[in-house]
Amino acid sequence: MENFLQNSLPVANLVDKSIDWVTENLAGFFRAVQSSGSTIMDFVSDTLSFIHPLILLVIITLLAFIISEKKKSFTILTALGLLYIYNQGLWSGMINTFTLVLLASIISIIIGVPLGIWMAKSERAKQIINPILDFMQTMPAFVYLIPAVAFFGIGMVPGVFASVIFALPPTVRFTNLGIREIPAELIEAAESFGSTDKQKLIKVELPLAKNTIMAGVNQTIMLALSMVVTASMIGAPGLGNGVLSALQHAEIGAGFVSGLALVVLAIIIDRFTQFANKPKKQMQKMSPWRKFLAPVLLVSFLLTGFTNLFLQAQTEQKDQITLAYVEWDSEVASTNVLAEVLKSQGYDVSLVPLDNAVAWKAVAEGNADASVSAWLPTTHQGQYAQYSNNLDDLGSNMDGTKLGLAVPAYMNIKSIAELNNQAQRQIIGIEPGAGIMARTEEALDSYSNLSNWTLTTSSTGAMITSLEQALRNREEIVITAWMPHWMFAKYDLVLLDDPNNIFGGEESIHTIARKGLEADHKEAYDIINAFSWTPTDLQSVMLAISEGQSPSQAAKEWIELNANKVDEWLK
Amino acid sequence: MDKILEVKNVTKIFGKKRKQALEMVQAGKSKTEILEKTGCTVGVYDASFDVKEGEIFVIMGLSGSGKSTLVRLINRLINPTDGSILIDNQDIAKMNKEELRHIRRHSVNMVFQKFGLFPHKTILENTEYGLEVRGIEKAERQRLAEQALDNSSLLAFKDQYPDQLSGGMQQRVGLARALANNPDILLMDEAFSALDPLIRKEMQDELLDLQEKVHKTIIFITHDLNEALRIGDRIALMKDGKIVQIGSGEEILTNPANDFVSEFVEDVDRSKVLTAQNIMIKPITTNVDIDGPKVALKRMDTEEVSMLLATNRQRKLLGVLTADAAFKANMRQHSLVDYIDTGIRTVQKDTLLEDILPLIHDSGAPIAVLDQERLVGVLIKGRVIEALTKQGIESTE
Repeated sequence: MENFLQNSLPVANLVDKSIDWVTENLAGFFRAVQSSGSTIMDFVSDTLSFIHPLILLVIITLLAFIISEKKKSFTILTALGLLYIYNQGLWSGMINTFTLVLLASIISIIIGVPLGIWMAKSERAKQIINPILDFMQTMPAFVYLIPAVAFFGIGMVPGVFASVIFALPPTVRFTNLGIREIPAELIEAAESFGSTDKQKLIKVELPLAKNTIMAGVNQTIMLALSMVVTASMIGAPGLGNGVLSALQHAEIGAGFVSGLALVVLAIIIDRFTQFANKPKKQMQKMSPWRKFLAPVLLVSFLLTGFTNLFLQAQTEQKDQITLAYVEWDSEVASTNVLAEVLKSQGYDVSLVPLDNAVAWKAVAEGNADASVSAWLPTTHQGQYAQYSNNLDDLGSNMDGTKLGLAVPAYMNIKSIAELNNQAQRQIIGIEPGAGIMARTEEALDSYSNLSNWTLTTSSTGAMITSLEQALRNREEIVITAWMPHWMFAKYDLVLLDDPNNIFGGEESIHTIARKGLEADHKEAYDIINAFSWTPTDLQSVMLAISEGQSPSQAAKEWIELNANKVDEWLK
Repeated sequence: MDKILEVKNVTKIFGKKRKQALEMVQAGKSKTEILEKTGCTVGVYDASFDVKEGEIFVIMGLSGSGKSTLVRLINRLINPTDGSILIDNQDIAKMNKEELRHIRRHSVNMVFQKFGLFPHKTILENTEYGLEVRGIEKAERQRLAEQALDNSSLLAFKDQYPDQLSGGMQQRVGLARALANNPDILLMDEAFSALDPLIRKEMQDELLDLQEKVHKTIIFITHDLNEALRIGDRIALMKDGKIVQIGSGEEILTNPANDFVSEFVEDVDRSKVLTAQNIMIKPITTNVDIDGPKVALKRMDTEEVSMLLATNRQRKLLGVLTADAAFKANMRQHSLVDYIDTGIRTVQKDTLLEDILPLIHDSGAPIAVLDQERLVGVLIKGRVIEALTKQGIESTE
C-alpha cells in the first residue's frame, strides 16, 4: 500500500505501448484507410473548388430557397454569409471545412445509427456502450488528436477520425432514444402481424424514430464543426487554421473573421439539415421536384467531379511538396519564403501548420516532406533524440539564434540568477510542445532561486499579448523568448544571462526532410537543402508580417529584393 | 362447433424470482404480498379456458386483473411462464420464431386499445401492413386492403393519415387492418375503451353486424360490464390474474361464483329496501323559461324521445311536454308554457318501491321523482320491473 501510494502506476506507459502495438500491427489497414480517405476527400473538395465560387454561391442560395420553402430571410442570409466568406478570401478554407464536416458526419451516421439500434434492442449493449459514450464525450478532444496522428499521420484523415470520435455520441444516443420512445403499442402492432425484426426496423422503427435521429445527426454535425478548429492543430485544412493561427499570434480581428465564417457555415448547415427533416405529409404538398433534389444533386456533383478529374489528367500534374511548420512568427516567415521559391519552380506546395512535436513526427513518418523549423542542438533536443533516425537532418538554414528568458528593460535585471519575487514568480510561456518550454522547466529545477516559480503555458500570440499589456502598464513580466524575433526590434527587452547554461549558447535553425525525399523530388530537395539565410533577413520578413502584411505577400517582397540570394539556392 | 383455442393452466409472472413467486401464488398469497417479498408481479395465474370457433369470448376484469396480459399470451407478445396455449391443437408456447411468425401472419391478429396505427403510413398503407409483411405483391395486397376499408366504408379516406381521422374511424381502420389478413382469431384489447360512449355503442353494433358476416372467433377484452353483456357469447371474469368465473352473461348475473363477482355485476341485495332514488334515471328536461319550441323539438330528436319533462329555471317541475304539443307551439310561434300537460304523477325520492308499483302499473307514462319541489329523476316501467327481478342494476349515472 505504501508502495502503491508512492509510485504511480505506469498507465501512460501502458497506453503508449498499446497504441504503438496497434500502430505497428495495423499499419497496412491504417495506410489503406488514409489513402482511400484522402482520395475521397480530395475528390469532394477538388470538385467543390473546381466550381467557380460565385456559381457555387448561386447554386447554394437557390437550394436554400427551395429547401426552406421560399423563406426569404434564410435565403438572403445564405447569400450574404457566403458572399462574406468569399470576400474575406476564406472560400477554399470553407470548402475544406465543409468536406471534413460532411465526411465526419456521414461516417458518424454510418457507425452511429447501427450502434444506436443495437443499444435500443439490447439492454446489455446499452450498459456497455453508454459508459463508453460518456467517456468519449467528456474526454477532452485534444486527447483524440494524439492517436489520430499516430494512426493516420497529418492532414484531413486524422481530422475526420478525431471529429468522428468526438461527434459520434449524439447520433448513437438519439437513435437509441428515438427507437426506445416509440409507443409500445405500435411495436406490439408490428410484431402481432408477424413482422420479422428487419421488417419491424425498416417499416416501423426507423421511420418513426427518424425525427429524433435527425436531431442527433444535427448535433453531430455541429460537434464536428466545433472540432474543426481543434483538428487544424494536426494539419486538417480549413477555417480552423485561421482561428488557430489567430490565437497563436493574438490577432483578434483575424480570429473574428475566421470565427464568423465558421458561424455562417454552421448556421447554413444547421438550417439545411432541419429543413431537410420535414415530415412526409408536407413533402407531398411540396413541389414534386423537391423529392428528386438529392439524387439530381448527387449525380450532377459526381459528373462535375469526374469532369474535373478528366481535365486534371489532361494537364501536367505538378509535384506536390508538403512543408510542416509551427505557427511561430519566425517559422511562418521562413516557411513562406521557401514555399514561394518552390512555387516559382512549378511545385504545388501545401503548408501545414502543426504543433511542434507533431511537425517532427509528421516529417519522420513521411507525412510531410520537410520542415525548416528545427531548433538545434538544444531547444528541440527531445524531438531530435526521438526522431533523428527516421529523417534527414540537412543542416543549418540559419545561425545565431538564441533562447532564454526575457524581461522589459525597466525591470533592471540582467541575469536569471537575479530573479526572486518579481512578476508574481510566474514565467509566461508559449505552446506546451515547444522546445523552449522544456528548457524553461529545466531552468526551474536548476536555479535554486526559481524553486517556487511557475511556468504558465499559453500560446505564442497570448504571450506577446501579455507582454504588450505589461509594457503598457509598466508591470513586471518574465517571458520565454527567442531570437530572432521582431519583439526585440519593436520593444526594449533584455534577454537574461544564463549562467547555468540551461538554454544553450547560440543555436541554429536546421532544415529536416523525410527519408526518400531526395529520391522522389530531386530538384525540390536541392532547393530545400540549399535554403539558408540570416537573422536580419528573417527579422525583416517578420516585421512586415507583424505590421499586417500577409505572410505570402511579405515573402514575395523579400524574394524580389533578394534575388541574388534566392538564385544561389536554385543553382 | 370445434374448439379453436385452448388455454391450459397458463401462468405469467413478471420479474426475476419467478420460482419463489410461483410457490407463493400456489399458497394463495395476495399480489401485493408477493410483490413486496419477491419483486415479482403475477400477471396471470393458472388460467384455463377454451374458445369455440365463431364465438365472441369476452375477458372482463378491473384494470390490473391481468386481462391484457392474458390476451397477449394468446399471440405470444408475452411469453408464458408456464402452461400451454393450443391454437388448432398446436401449442404456440413451444413454437420457434418461424412457426410463431406464421401463426401471427395467418391465424391470429389483434386490434389495440389506442388503435396502434402507424402515424407515418396512410390509412391504406396501415391496412395492408399485415399483407405487406407476408410478402404479398403490391397490387394484390392493395386490392384486399381496399376491400377491407370498403367494408367499413372508409375507402374515401385511404390516402389520409391516422391523425386526420376521428377516434372511431381510426379504430375501424385498426379493425380493417386485422380483418384484411383474414385471420381465424381476432384479439381485441379494450378496442372501444378509448372512444366516447356514443361511438362506442355504434362500434359495438358494427362489430356484431360484422360478426354476422364474417364469423370470426373473437377474444374481446373489456372492463365494462355493459359492453361484455352486449357482445359476449361467453364471458370470463378475471381478478388478480385469476379467472374467477366463465359463463354466459345470464349465468354470471344469476349465479355469481363469489362475492367479488356479485359485487362486480352489482347485484342488488333484495334485503335492502329500494326507493325511487335507487332506480330512477336521469330526466330529459326542457327549461321553458329559456327554451322555445324549436329547441325542445331538437332535444327530443337528439335524445330520441317523444316527450320532455318541463321545468322552470329553479328546476321546479311544471309538467310534461309532448312532441305534438311542442310541434303545435312551433307552428303557432307561441311559447311553450301554455302547451305543458300538468297531469304528471310524481313521487318523492325516498318513496319505497312497493308504493311505486301500483302507480306504474296502470300508466305507460313516466313518473317524475322529486326532492321536495325539485325534479331529480324519472321512473320508467322497464327499470322498475327489472329491479324487482333478481338481476343486477347498474348504478345511475
